[in-house]
Amino acid sequence: MPLLDRRQRIRAIVTTGLRREFKRPAAIIAIGVGTAVTSLTAIVTVLIASLAPGGPPLGLSFFYSAASNPVILFFVTLMASVVGSGLIADDIDSMALTLYLSRPISQADYLIAKAAILVPLVSMVAVLPLVLTPFLAAILGFFPWDIGLEAMGVGFLVGLLLTMFYASISLFLSSITRRKSYAAAGVFAVTFGLTIPAGILWDVTQNSALLLLSPWEDYQAVARAAFGASAGPIDWPAALVILLGSTILAAFITYMRMKAIEVVSG
Amino acid sequence: MSDVVETIGVSKWYGEVLGLNTFTASFGPGITGLVGPNGAGKSTLFKLLIGQLRADQGALTMLGENPWNNVPLKRRLGYCPEHNQLYGWLTGQQFVETLLRLDGMPTTQAARSAKDALEIVGLSNVRHRPTRTYSRGMRQRAKLAQALAHDPEILILDEPLSGADPLARVHILRTITEFARNGGHVLMSTHVLYEIERITNNIVLIHNGKAIATGDIHAIRALIDEHPHAVRLVTPRPRDLAQALAGMEHIVSFEFPALDTLLVRTRKPDSFYKELPKIVVDHGLEVHGLESPDDSLEAVFRYLVG
Repeated sequence: MPLLDRRQRIRAIVTTGLRREFKRPAAIIAIGVGTAVTSLTAIVTVLIASLAPGGPPLGLSFFYSAASNPVILFFVTLMASVVGSGLIADDIDSMALTLYLSRPISQADYLIAKAAILVPLVSMVAVLPLVLTPFLAAILGFFPWDIGLEAMGVGFLVGLLLTMFYASISLFLSSITRRKSYAAAGVFAVTFGLTIPAGILWDVTQNSALLLLSPWEDYQAVARAAFGASAGPIDWPAALVILLGSTILAAFITYMRMKAIEVVSG
Repeated sequence: MSDVVETIGVSKWYGEVLGLNTFTASFGPGITGLVGPNGAGKSTLFKLLIGQLRADQGALTMLGENPWNNVPLKRRLGYCPEHNQLYGWLTGQQFVETLLRLDGMPTTQAARSAKDALEIVGLSNVRHRPTRTYSRGMRQRAKLAQALAHDPEILILDEPLSGADPLARVHILRTITEFARNGGHVLMSTHVLYEIERITNNIVLIHNGKAIATGDIHAIRALIDEHPHAVRLVTPRPRDLAQALAGMEHIVSFEFPALDTLLVRTRKPDSFYKELPKIVVDHGLEVHGLESPDDSLEAVFRYLVG
């Protein structure tokens, strides 16, 4: 019987990884609560705004309010910490990596599989609310379908950008330690350790360039531009470059690290 | 090249610690035992051979190829690590099946091969139990099953008997012998010479990262017999077990390092290992684990290296 190709072998890692996550209470709670809360708050925000007199115009820009929901920031960070931080660190610590890499898979295959586990889970809180909200708004007749569909497409892309950023960062952090708590702390540090000081410094100095340090502010700048909302304090092209650049750089470093990794333990 | 494994002057550093020190040896076909105390460099050598470590110096080949990052070569080998946890919630069947899927085996074939491999190592009746509920000996057998389930050309077994109970040892040694009889090659590490002596005469002694002797197991044995050999037995009734073993003339001493542990020192390990199962059964005792601390072997190595 012929052996299956690389894609199938990667799928085997993904399947096992997803099954593992859905057996961990912390992951189940983060996924369940995160999905429910982000989706509900996004929907409620949009629906209330659409019914409020004198609210924003009922166009594409209206859905920026769903994308800028701070609950998304919290749960994306939580999800990346709870799920992403352990994906590689746990395997290094438990020496499961030894078993994985004793099979005919490359380090790149392994890394792709880990990303394929994390991205759908993070997108449950970063993408789903942005797609679900215009869908429901269109179904309920608050918006015409053409705007609803456009908002779904834009929401998907914007949410995907945030998802990829956090997936890339958390996998990078997970690959450099065998303690997932360190990686998890790193994810929170990247989010809040940059966002809060950037906001404070901007308040003090009124230098909006400092806001570029915050991934959340970068994301919002891109989202504002994508949804056609009024411009914010920072330019979206610079914000997009920073988000994409960080994502690609973290992914590249993780790839190079995994490619050169030597499984020392055991 | 006829040798299955060839290493020439291989060195590996972990920072400032030397894992392997210009290790040079050739391993031929069949079963070869790599014998050395803990920290000698056995696991390092195996990690180099399966391509998970890169040699800092020297050259090594396995089945004629350089193993570092050699993905196709991995399909030709089966590796059983000394320590590992894949995921404890996986059943024995799922554990083996998952790793077979990583070899590219289709689902149905993987399920069938996993079942067959678990049967070979004597775990058929517990294959649907999570591996976290397995004893250490059962886990060793499950790891052996995953190593041989895809029918590799060479098995690399890192301390496969470590902590295994007497029944598991019998299964593991029988499985290894059968694999070699069918044309497979086996590299097996241990710090207990008597275990490997039952299945091969080809041994390589390793100490402080160097190959210090190859072959002639009988000469090595003679040296080891001069030193009392320690065996640690895990049993719920260590004092009863000591009483049952007290009749053996070659026993030097008993110690009770823990409530469930008996440490025996013997001058005739051969006889001890041979007679132990019968004594345990005859006296209705239980032995949950058996391992040899490597201090007796360490003494021999100190003697060998002067």
